[in-house]
Amino acid sequence: MSGEDAQVMRWLSPLEPNNRHQGVRNDRFDGVGDWVLETNEFQEWRDSMGGADDAVLFCSGNPGVGKTYLRWGAGSSECKFH
Amino acid sequence: MQIPLTARNTSSLVIDSLCDRAKREDIAVAAMYCDFLSQQDQTITNIMGAILKQLAGRASIPNYLHQAFQEGKVELGGRGPRLADMMRLLRTAIASLPKVFICIDALDECLPKCLPELLESLRNIVRESPTTRIFLTGRPHVGEDVRRYFAKVVVMPISPSTDDIRNYVEMRLDRDPEPEAMTNDLRADVVRVVREKISDMCVRLFSILTLSIMYTYQRLCADSSLFRSTWTLF
Repeated sequence: MSGEDAQVMRWLSPLEPNNRHQGVRNDRFDGVGDWVLETNEFQEWRDSMGGADDAVLFCSGNPGVGKTYLRWGAGSSECKFH
Repeated sequence: MQIPLTARNTSSLVIDSLCDRAKREDIAVAAMYCDFLSQQDQTITNIMGAILKQLAGRASIPNYLHQAFQEGKVELGGRGPRLADMMRLLRTAIASLPKVFICIDALDECLPKCLPELLESLRNIVRESPTTRIFLTGRPHVGEDVRRYFAKVVVMPISPSTDDIRNYVEMRLDRDPEPEAMTNDLRADVVRVVREKISDMCVRLFSILTLSIMYTYQRLCADSSLFRSTWTLF
């Protein structure tokens, strides 16, 4: 990247989400959470070419800072431990 | 026990999976991790700028960004872009791409006064570019804010599955500092007991669950160095 390109990038934003992404990725455990990518909700959201109505997927949960959050099962039979 | 499946890890998993696709398909991915510790820097303008950087900086930086930079430099001693400017530039970048994914992690860690503006900015993007997909994570209470701007949002709760727990326990056992104390039978017992105990505890308090599992471990591993290492699971 040329000097001016780098200046333009810094001018646009001082934030560097890629650095943060590398850190979070390093803390991940292989195989944990892969099921999320297999859910209908995720795949329909990812593959839809639709309009603004189905544009947003919101995953709710604990960010993983100091709290234990366990939810078991799925649908109406699920048990929650907060 | 902290099962390591969090909304944040899910964000990173989703981002990686989309980035893998971006190598094969003509899609662009931009991500942002909101963070309590960086709230002052994470203004809406900077967040939108960070998204723009990722979308526009994939190849050589387009001329319209150089032009905006030059124009900004000569104004008031080189001011940064305003939100309206940034949104205009972002619209231009998105319009040049066939499909865009924007992922924003931990909405609840964004400054409360900024959240409505962030969601409104995202809504404006989607309205102007309906093929754009937005992936958001946050604590459950933020769902209400998201719904206010995106009435038809799909909400997916994130929590560990049975496989997640098995994978995690096995991983921790693999890292046992004294593996010679482990046998195949004991290993299978540990994994089985943890899963069964967690299932059994659906109707009990989590604190009792933790004590119960610790007690079971104690009995299973009393004669083994395994107890010391598995104790740290809880």
